[in-house]
Amino acid sequence: MHNVWLIAKREYFERIRTKSFLLMTIAIPLLMGGGILGGAMVGHKTQSNSHIAVVSIDLQMATDLQNELEHGKHTKMVVDIISPPGADTRKVLDGELADKQLDGYLWITPASNSHVRPRFLWTPKSRADIVTRGAISEALRTVMTTETLTHQGMDKSDVQLLMQPVELDSSQAGKNDDSESAFFSAYVLFFLMYFVIMLYGMNVARSIIEEKTSRIFEVLLATIRPEEMMAGKVIGVGSVGLTQVGIWLLTAILLTSTSLVAQATGSNFHVPLTAMQIVFFVVFFLLGYLLYSSIAAALGAMTNSEQELQQLNMFLVMPLALCMFSLSFVIPNPDGAAATAISFIPFCTPLIMYMRISMGHPSWLQIGASILLMIATIYAVLWLASRIYRVGILMYGKKPNLPEILRWLKYS
Amino acid sequence: MAIVELQNVCKAYGAKIAVDNLSFRIEPGTMFGLLGPNGSGKTSTIRMMIGITVPDSGTIQLFGKPFDRNVLKRVGYLPEERGLYKKMKVMDQLVFLGQLHGLDAITASKRAHAWCERLQITEAIHKKTEDLSKGMQQKIQFISTLLHEPDLIIMDEPFSGLDPVNATLLIDTLVDLRKSGKTILFSTHRMDQVEKMCDQIALIHQSKLVLAGSMREIKSQYPRNRVQMNVTGDMSFLQHPSIESYKDYSGHVEIKLRSEHGVEPDAQALLADAIAHGSHISRFEVTEPTLEEIFIETVGTVSETNPTGGSLDA
Repeated sequence: MHNVWLIAKREYFERIRTKSFLLMTIAIPLLMGGGILGGAMVGHKTQSNSHIAVVSIDLQMATDLQNELEHGKHTKMVVDIISPPGADTRKVLDGELADKQLDGYLWITPASNSHVRPRFLWTPKSRADIVTRGAISEALRTVMTTETLTHQGMDKSDVQLLMQPVELDSSQAGKNDDSESAFFSAYVLFFLMYFVIMLYGMNVARSIIEEKTSRIFEVLLATIRPEEMMAGKVIGVGSVGLTQVGIWLLTAILLTSTSLVAQATGSNFHVPLTAMQIVFFVVFFLLGYLLYSSIAAALGAMTNSEQELQQLNMFLVMPLALCMFSLSFVIPNPDGAAATAISFIPFCTPLIMYMRISMGHPSWLQIGASILLMIATIYAVLWLASRIYRVGILMYGKKPNLPEILRWLKYS
Repeated sequence: MAIVELQNVCKAYGAKIAVDNLSFRIEPGTMFGLLGPNGSGKTSTIRMMIGITVPDSGTIQLFGKPFDRNVLKRVGYLPEERGLYKKMKVMDQLVFLGQLHGLDAITASKRAHAWCERLQITEAIHKKTEDLSKGMQQKIQFISTLLHEPDLIIMDEPFSGLDPVNATLLIDTLVDLRKSGKTILFSTHRMDQVEKMCDQIALIHQSKLVLAGSMREIKSQYPRNRVQMNVTGDMSFLQHPSIESYKDYSGHVEIKLRSEHGVEPDAQALLADAIAHGSHISRFEVTEPTLEEIFIETVGTVSETNPTGGSLDA
């Protein structure tokens, strides 16, 4: 045990002292915070302010459309009306499009009778501008529905009332966990965990490869067991990860409790981290880290260089990527059958079960069972990894193939 | 009680046999040379001695007891593949390695300083390992092997890559350690190094033991049938019938005399013949064959590379 402690201590302090550790500790929260804030801002302000032209014989319709597009809820476009079109209108418009004075023009050809819709021809400057296109299509529908309803004798104010979007009032849901900020914090923690497990798992593999290339392990093996060496590494590197996450979490808690963030953003938004969330975060982070870093240790022992590791690291990335993809149906329904099933795949348990605890209501039985299942898996992986490690670490030169690795498991 | 005792040790990696039925013992206080060409199984043997790998069959005893990890605290091991943490400072590194061998930090640091002084590398103490020359790194590794004052020192190719001055420094250190009662085992493929240093040797070739025993015993089994000559002038005496073969290195001649059934041949006739031919002789010395010659005689040829070279014995 003393040896494990020595190895872990060395690993920990050598890493903590590096500049890259300091840089990461500061830069990552900045980047993540910036990304999330920026994303939120962009999401709210995705609206079109294009300059377009509407060509129509029907002046009424063109004016209605202009109104809708210039003063609508999500659009602030500039709309020119050409009514009725002249013989050279299309040529002029095409020229303006080429000169980039216009972002596009809409050519409306009225229908021959009232049972057929008019034809709309949209000529954009850039076909990639789906926001403008969507806004026009939306506005056209509103205009046409309004027109039809008015046509059928409905009062104009009634029509407007009918066309207003329905708003769902969710302000009374504050006491439940499903509030927006709880979702937000769960999401942030999920990515934090994902990121740190990924990063520090790879660090274990890297540090093993480093010892292989520097050949130091042979000196170490002369005094300590491979198992102790592996355990020391996993613990040492993992503690670095915990330290980093600890710093991040502490900063987050300090910031939210002193409501600095609220003042800075001028809103009453805050990140509510419950004690429960933090406890489960630590538990699942540790379990997940242990699982993935033991896989990484085995991968590191199997390979001789970073390049070779890159080829094998899909074994680490794939399960984590699976967790990411599954989020799309875990988040909408955290207690559903699919989410429950995925949270019991040991490789996904730390991330998905944690997400479920934050956002849903898994029973204590489920939580306990998933933790037990993970511990069993970790034990099995560690057993396998330490066997691969013991033989693989003495291997240089050629890359082992699968039968060889299977044979290593039988070596004593 | 033997410090190290191997009995019928075998080890194979897959189809490749690394060590085949090897037995020898090392008495306390001896300087023991484990010799053999590259790929003959030296490193595999050493790795089994210190429990990095386990023999397929046979037994290994250290300090008179079956192998037990606790005795490793009494062993100092310098692997063939030198390795240190590149980014770590020299003193931190030495203290860390000392602690792994059961020392406390203060003792480790004290001894490390003393050793650095003795090996003349005090200026390296506060540097990072990656900033040091290869020779210096090797000295540091050498120190790390000795910090915990082991009773058995095992060194795999300790002098490879060292310049003559530093090699002599390390050889002298090893000789001093042997005088103070330590047992030293080292492996090498350079047999000329061994001749002056070792009390005992074991010679392995293609995984098998071909010769073992004390240096004196082994040499005395061979007749003194070699002549070293420094000679100029007429060389026609080299056609003398008592000569079996010779090598002429312009001025220095190495001669092997014919000998029947280990009977020492008489070199006087050859000397007389050379004088009669009017050669100018500044040296004429009858000697035993060198270790290298004995080795070649025993196994035929030295194969420098191992055709089936396993990746485990890097």
